Amino acid sequence: MRQFLKPLAFAFTLAASPALSASAPVVRDIVEGHILPGFEALATSSAALDETAQAHCAPTDPDLRAAFNTAFDAWVRVSHLRFGPTEQGDRGFALAFWPDKRSKTPKALSALLASQDPSITTPAGMASQSVATRGFYALERLIYDPQYAQTTNATYLCSLIQGVTGDIAHITAAINADWTGGYGTLLLLAGNDSFRDPREAGQQLLTALLTGIEFTADMRLGRPLGTFERPRPERAEAWRSKRSLRHVILSLEATRDMAARLSGGDAALDRQFQHALDRAHALADDPIFAGVSDPQVRFQIESLQQEIRNIDQTIANDVAPRLGIAPGFNSLDGD
Amino acid sequence: MKSFKLAASALALSLATPALADVSKLDVLTNYANIAEAGYADSLATAKTLQAAVNALVEAPSAENLQAAKSAWLAARVPYQQTEVFRFGNAIVDDWEGKVNAWPLDEGLIDYVDASYGGATDENAAAVLNVIANPSFELSGALVDASKITPALLEESLQEADGVEANVATGYHAIEFLLWGQDLNGHGAGAGNRPWTDYAADDACTHGNCDRRGEYLKAATDLLISDLEWITAQWATGGDARETVLADTDAGISAMLTGMGSLSYGETAGERMRLGVMLNDPEEEHSCFSDNTHNDHFYNGVGVQTVYNGSYTRVDGSVVEGASLSDLVAAKDAALDAEMESKLSAAVLALGKIKFAAEAGFAYDQMLERGNTAGEALIMGGVNGLVDQTKTIERVVAALGQDGIEIDGSDSLDNPAAVFE
Repeated sequence: MRQFLKPLAFAFTLAASPALSASAPVVRDIVEGHILPGFEALATSSAALDETAQAHCAPTDPDLRAAFNTAFDAWVRVSHLRFGPTEQGDRGFALAFWPDKRSKTPKALSALLASQDPSITTPAGMASQSVATRGFYALERLIYDPQYAQTTNATYLCSLIQGVTGDIAHITAAINADWTGGYGTLLLLAGNDSFRDPREAGQQLLTALLTGIEFTADMRLGRPLGTFERPRPERAEAWRSKRSLRHVILSLEATRDMAARLSGGDAALDRQFQHALDRAHALADDPIFAGVSDPQVRFQIESLQQEIRNIDQTIANDVAPRLGIAPGFNSLDGD
Repeated sequence: MKSFKLAASALALSLATPALADVSKLDVLTNYANIAEAGYADSLATAKTLQAAVNALVEAPSAENLQAAKSAWLAARVPYQQTEVFRFGNAIVDDWEGKVNAWPLDEGLIDYVDASYGGATDENAAAVLNVIANPSFELSGALVDASKITPALLEESLQEADGVEANVATGYHAIEFLLWGQDLNGHGAGAGNRPWTDYAADDACTHGNCDRRGEYLKAATDLLISDLEWITAQWATGGDARETVLADTDAGISAMLTGMGSLSYGETAGERMRLGVMLNDPEEEHSCFSDNTHNDHFYNGVGVQTVYNGSYTRVDGSVVEGASLSDLVAAKDAALDAEMESKLSAAVLALGKIKFAAEAGFAYDQMLERGNTAGEALIMGGVNGLVDQTKTIERVVAALGQDGIEIDGSDSLDNPAAVFE
């Protein structure tokens, strides 16, 4: 809730801006070296997941689980890039509806399994469903929550898993196509209505980077941490598939890469990322943050969270002003 | 059409009178604080009308008195929703607002609910606590004496009980639930339909504990009044909120813009509107009991426009106005001011279209239904308007920032790397 105050401090620290040139090498480097490969990997691994699911739809099937984990990894690596093609229509939420503060996903999945709505077998039918039943987080429930695996409607469960993977493949292919087919150019050749000048392109990239880092600190770590008196281990991200810590590590690696490109290889900033990653790897024995209730482990998780918040501050207060850009409004600003 | 005239005249004015370049930030902030004070004073006055109607309902329960209380609640929301733009950016408001406008709520904490509501959840053990039916209960391991339902009980023991945000015991939405009851129409038309006999005496009482229900309703309304009195005082001369924005003019201007952008983007367009469409869930309505959600969004949009234009029309029709952000921006970049004006007007119109359709009979929860493409288009029109204006608010931030506001003590700014220049 206090997040919005952070950008305030530097919202007005823009340097006087001389005439802008047509393009910025930094933007090109981030688009071509970071964004496009990330979405291509997501589209490829999602297509592979769907192909696997068409042949292996039993929730416990090892091939299905392996393909799921590979594609989910690819999503987490681009999950900070929530703008442009990812935010068109409902794509981003349809791929990744989390956090689920009101337990919409289990409720909606139970309703779907009870009604056996046949529309999920067509792409258009699946796309019209609530985002709570779509994407990686719904799929994780279907594959790893035994209550669904034990459903008597094994045939419908199979169809639903295939419907969800088909939907994921479809959305990720569309995002990738939009990035390669025009949106990347909008960023590169600023001077259009989306990005009036290279600084607006830079602001968009900076906002995405900071929002991604804050999401990891506030949601991926903050939700299970809860408060000292009331830790919330059951709120950890994707704990059923034991991916909670993995997501923190993957997102740190991805934002580290983007931050290095944006900052022109700022060595001190990169060391901060290394420290955070070291702390994250030190938690390897607790991949789902069950230790939030144990004072000693909790301290380690809080330290990791603090380290990530420090990175956020460094980028916002030191790196951004040096680049002559300020972050824009953040989708996490709401309640 | 009117908006374009306004924008054009602002443009002409700034060209004709370079003196506007000297619009004082302090004047802009003083007017902003005046508008905030007037907005909260209007919220307080309309809440007092609600309080009188609630007292009449509890003392003399009848269908007419319940309807009068509902009408008073709806009227009270008009000024309040316009003040939400003061929330983000002003910590004093944001820290306070959960007491009066927290949402969404697990209403089973307060009163009886339909069986379809379900029971306690993983997220909330108190989801069906039903304070009205239980004079004493255990909460977070401690025994709570609720034999008398008082503002203090609601505020100190029940609000956010067990650290769960959905345990909303106070504010507009708790009162809304006590007046309307649950909306059990799903995606169909119609709001909650609580019978007036839920407040009736003796044998006429429905759903039990009518006296305690009345006690709860009165306590929650009294608390709303005292909370609104408090915030109004914060914006009066000498009040903390006013003093804070006036103390540092750059931070104050920043607070104004932060409020506009955060309410537009993350809060209204994101959390409240877009998510509801994507979940196709009628519970994702901001005012789900009364079916007043279209007005919540509309008056949020009006509030954002009000802060930019520096002109607020009070509930009695009088106008509070003065130096505005628009003046500041026009002096710096007239084209940008025109862009901002036109986007604010477009967003208010798009939000207005949701309101017009809802008031003509196409309820907001019908719009949220899966496959209802016309409803989705209406809501997404509002979302897109808000997202679009956020982009221009960012441009305004950048434009005003180039004045060199708050750059003292930052060596790096003297030597920008000019990467994006």
